[in-house]
Amino acid sequence: MSEHNDDELFEAKAKGLFDDSVQAIDGQTQSRLNRGRQKALAELARRPAAGVLGIWAPATGVAVAAVVAVALWSGNRPPADIAPASSATDLEILLNEDSLEMLEELEFYSWIELDEDAGANVG
Amino acid sequence: MTARSSVFAVSFSREPSPGVETLQREQELNRFLAEVEKRALRITEISIRDRDEALDLVQNAMIKLVRKYSSRTSDEWTPLFYRILQNGVRDWHRRQTVKKRVIVWFGGSDDEDPDVIAKAPDTAGRTPHEQLESHEAMKDLERALAGLPQRQKEAFMLRTFEGLDVADTATAMGCSAGSVKTHYSRAVHSLRETLGDHW
Repeated sequence: MSEHNDDELFEAKAKGLFDDSVQAIDGQTQSRLNRGRQKALAELARRPAAGVLGIWAPATGVAVAAVVAVALWSGNRPPADIAPASSATDLEILLNEDSLEMLEELEFYSWIELDEDAGANVG
Repeated sequence: MTARSSVFAVSFSREPSPGVETLQREQELNRFLAEVEKRALRITEISIRDRDEALDLVQNAMIKLVRKYSSRTSDEWTPLFYRILQNGVRDWHRRQTVKKRVIVWFGGSDDEDPDVIAKAPDTAGRTPHEQLESHEAMKDLERALAGLPQRQKEAFMLRTFEGLDVADTATAMGCSAGSVKTHYSRAVHSLRETLGDHW
């Protein structure tokens, strides 16, 4: 049998097993999925209000990005013992639109970095 | 009624009101999400190996899809939904990396959650032996998937489990069609090598 056919058999078996596992999802989990879906659909009713906010959303995003960039790279610099080497990664994560909630945890991440640096200086 | 007023009445009645449009869109979205949610949950669960967290990520992806893309055509929803979900999974992995450092620092345990699929009743009318075989084969596959690089894992699950074509997988993964083919081919090769002929 050719390699291509073997691959197709493998994929078909994987798909069959996956479908079985989907069918095996319990009622409680399905109920939680249903509640999550209803919560998501409720967002449709809020969309007109969001539309008004939407006009300001790009400007707000740019403003937040600017503040974060300035805080990380120049003006409002953190104490010297917080590693600047990872600032670019931090900024990349923070500017990801799906990750804005990470802004709420900035203090925590700064603490982690500070803690790591302290650890690195020991010994 | 004059001819002019009847034309107006007909054209007016053909224009759905905003309320009707919203209702129709809600029904379409409900059908789409209900159709995709269980597979999305399992794909996410396999990626992060935690059902509760996977439920949160799927719910967040559903909310973001409705907020940002409900006005798009329904054909676009599947790749957009999975793009949001994959971004969520990647963010989750980043956060876990940070959290694991803290757990290790405080000497906590990082054990896997109990196997929830094993506890689920069988709906396909199979014998317990067949169920066990199927379950064990799936666990082997999940373990093999866990050993793959993230992008290969994504390509394999979106193509094989969700059945997306190359173009939609590329949209979902935010990369080129060529990259999808490469990731997918490497994933299949690697999985077959790991699982062996007996699988």
